[in-house]
Amino acid sequence: MARNVAIVGIGQTNYTTLRNDVTYPELVFEAVTKALSDASMSIDEIEAVVFSLAPTSLVGVDAMERWCIDAVGAKGKPFMRVNTGGATGGSAAQAGYFHIASAFFDTVLVVGAEKQGDTPDTQLILNQIWDPRFERAVALNAINMSSFQAVRHMHKYGTTEQQMAMVSVRDHKNALNNPHAHIRQAVSLEDVLASRVVCWPLKLLDCCPRSSGACAVIMASEGRTRKLMQRPAWIKGIGATTNTYYMGDKMETEMFNDHGDWDELALAAEHAYRMAGISNPAKQIDVAEIYGPFSCLEIAAVEALGFCPKGQGGKFEEQGFFNMTGELPVNPSGGALCSNPIAVTGLVRVAEAALQVTGRAEGRQVNGAKTAVATAIGGSLQFHTAMVISANL
Amino acid sequence: MMKEKRELVSVPGKWDISFNYAAGKTVSHFLAQIRDNGRILGMKCAKCHRVMVPPRSFCERCFVPAEDWVELGDEGVVEAFTIVHDVFEGSPPPPYAIAYVKLDGADTALANFVDGLDLSDISEATQRLKIGARVKVEFASRREGRITDFKYRIIG
Amino acid sequence: MDRRVAIVGIGQTRYETGKTESLDEIAFEAASKALADAGITRDEVDNVVIAASDQLDGRPISSMTLACPAGGYLKDEVKASDDGTLAVVLACLRLLSGVFHTSLVVSWCKCSEVPTAKVTNLSFDPFFHRDLGLNHINALSFQVNSYLSRYPISEWVPAKIVVKNRANAMGNPYAHLVEEVSLEEVVQSPIVCPPLRQLHLPLECDGACALVLTTRERVRLTTQKPVWISGLGWAMDSYYLGERDLHQLSSVAKAARQAYQRAGIKKPIDEIDVAEINELSAYHEIMAYEALDFCTPGEGYKLVEEGSTELTGKIPVNPSGGALAASPLFAAGLVRIAEAALQVRGDAGERQVTGVRTALAASCYGICAQGSSVFILSQES
Ligand SMILES: [Zn+2]
Repeated sequence: MARNVAIVGIGQTNYTTLRNDVTYPELVFEAVTKALSDASMSIDEIEAVVFSLAPTSLVGVDAMERWCIDAVGAKGKPFMRVNTGGATGGSAAQAGYFHIASAFFDTVLVVGAEKQGDTPDTQLILNQIWDPRFERAVALNAINMSSFQAVRHMHKYGTTEQQMAMVSVRDHKNALNNPHAHIRQAVSLEDVLASRVVCWPLKLLDCCPRSSGACAVIMASEGRTRKLMQRPAWIKGIGATTNTYYMGDKMETEMFNDHGDWDELALAAEHAYRMAGISNPAKQIDVAEIYGPFSCLEIAAVEALGFCPKGQGGKFEEQGFFNMTGELPVNPSGGALCSNPIAVTGLVRVAEAALQVTGRAEGRQVNGAKTAVATAIGGSLQFHTAMVISANL
Repeated sequence: MMKEKRELVSVPGKWDISFNYAAGKTVSHFLAQIRDNGRILGMKCAKCHRVMVPPRSFCERCFVPAEDWVELGDEGVVEAFTIVHDVFEGSPPPPYAIAYVKLDGADTALANFVDGLDLSDISEATQRLKIGARVKVEFASRREGRITDFKYRIIG
Repeated sequence: MDRRVAIVGIGQTRYETGKTESLDEIAFEAASKALADAGITRDEVDNVVIAASDQLDGRPISSMTLACPAGGYLKDEVKASDDGTLAVVLACLRLLSGVFHTSLVVSWCKCSEVPTAKVTNLSFDPFFHRDLGLNHINALSFQVNSYLSRYPISEWVPAKIVVKNRANAMGNPYAHLVEEVSLEEVVQSPIVCPPLRQLHLPLECDGACALVLTTRERVRLTTQKPVWISGLGWAMDSYYLGERDLHQLSSVAKAARQAYQRAGIKKPIDEIDVAEINELSAYHEIMAYEALDFCTPGEGYKLVEEGSTELTGKIPVNPSGGALAASPLFAAGLVRIAEAALQVRGDAGERQVTGVRTALAASCYGICAQGSSVFILSQES
């Protein structure tokens, strides 16, 4: 079976719209040096690099990863970029895992950065992602794609705009404790509901900001990890599922995968849970870092992850189940609603989950957290990844 | 070193790449039928019997080629929708509504704009534009063989 | 790598310009052919690895519309960038981890839909290089000139490579450029950027290529003769051309060293029976001989003059015709692996080299081969 893999170093920049003081490779370099120092390693000890970068049209240089070879110390080393749209960070973390689980390497650096502040309209680019023969001409983008999910969830289960707003309130509250978070400002339920409509039912405060920033995660084999540190975060399970591009294919009456639900994420989580020996996620998972760039998506995610019955995500949110003091805290970091550096948002979830299970999450620490799950989402809500991370091997 | 005020520079740039996306035989026929005859066709998978629109030359679930055209009705039911109230570069001026509609005879839903609704009052608009609402396809009189050659209109 | 992962299915579309099928149809064709070649269905595949360039595909996240046509529906699917061969690398890592058992690998490119040089110009940084109008073609002349200033070989040497590859392509039913050329035609073909002439360069075209990979435990579930991946390596060089030793293909040398070490190859020229190289130009094929340690630096021309890399030579290179005969740019490296695998299997038809037991496939990608991956394929020992 697969070799054991641990996360032994983490580096994050702060997330913000503009980083005019650095070029893209310089931004990447910031996270790399932080992660190396966190792991007490030198760049020469890194054997291979996985680069996490989603659409390069957001950063304005095609194949931008190639400009970063020196910033990640990869000259002459094995290097690959992984790109699964929004899910890229989750997929890159899994690619890093395979570099070590395959016994090819003992150390790997997984790193990337987003610098979408350099382009004025992210959603223009996120209109171009659609099929030029069909949806592109119908003005789709990532926001209205999520609106379609929201209205189906509302229709099927009676989920309300208030419940979605509560997700946003919780994330914004949590982000106050995260020094890296882009948006660090509390919002009330009334604030969210009164914010202007963007794509109904989503309002401005149901939506993520456009963030720039970098994240780096160093992984190591069990042997190397034991020499490096006392408190590693072990990757216990991984899973990913790709669904159809066509959102309209997920609107059949009798089928398991509905655009309103995230059954694909449930499949990915099932694989990760099985590897990790988790049979009752609601009990065995202590904290979750979920990639939900729009409030409605977190509701679908908690259901798919098995934290509550299908359709009950909104009600559980209402009851405070996912608050910092609730049964299963979700997004102590503030989540993607408060920082969305698209190329690495999935990797940030992994980093934050690792910090939680090793008790290193400072002001946002969930007491006694030992096992966490981190997710990512991309494409037409079609690419899903899940990773279980634990303090215990 | 002398202390001086350092300025930060941004170099302007624009990606200006043209593409010619080959639509393929199947989608070309679909678009031509919309343009020439105001007909919307679906593609049926011989294995799972799904009628797919947008049509494709293969079923990605069964992983077999598909070649049975089926004519779809010009009415259908709303499966998902949104009302856009914000300005997006390259998109129409707001407000506008987009719906996924399962046309009669199809198993999948197709996205397009919804016409003829007063979108200024959202709660009123969502009384009419909702999941389960029936719509009719309305073709433009001058058509170019694009998906935007038709719109949906709520019936009743 | 001890023959633990095998190629058991190969699927290729024809490589030609101006394909009228849409991109998803091309991906589906290659994926279906690879599954059929392996004698399995999509049900037996537990993961899919694709590789593509968003910009060459004209879609910021091209896997949205292409992952499922490539076989990814409700599978664990992931996309690598930079080059088609990196999908094979990632698939190998996934299989060797023991988490997965059978991978479908697919890559594609449709050069006829997009101005490729314009796209690659956008891969240059906007501060120092982009305004100079550099692209993946004209930048090659920096490299070739720098090679020539150190090793001044005659123009007839690269011409011989072109003649060889074009002639080889006559036996390849997938190559679209089935037309032989003479040495004179090569040296008289129009100058693109000195010393590179039109016929020295790959002819960019459309197409897709797919492989089915599986583990030793699952090989018996397929109907195909396994081709074992006995070594692989991949590496990147610096980004700024000014920081590189342009006269040599450093990334190829680095990747080859890893691959040879894993495969236990000590003397490549004696141990490799045939090679498929994604040559970025005719000159680059010669540079690759040296980087792959078929000969010492500067001696590549000798292999050409001796005819060692011709179809009947000691180490035939590009019996398929290589990229000079057909280059679906991003997928061209993956095509080299497919062709090398066909050689090992003995299924290469008219372009078959006799007695192949071990084959090498090498890809070069990025500006002036910034990146490279090298694979060693073997028969059952
Ligand atoms: Zn079917």
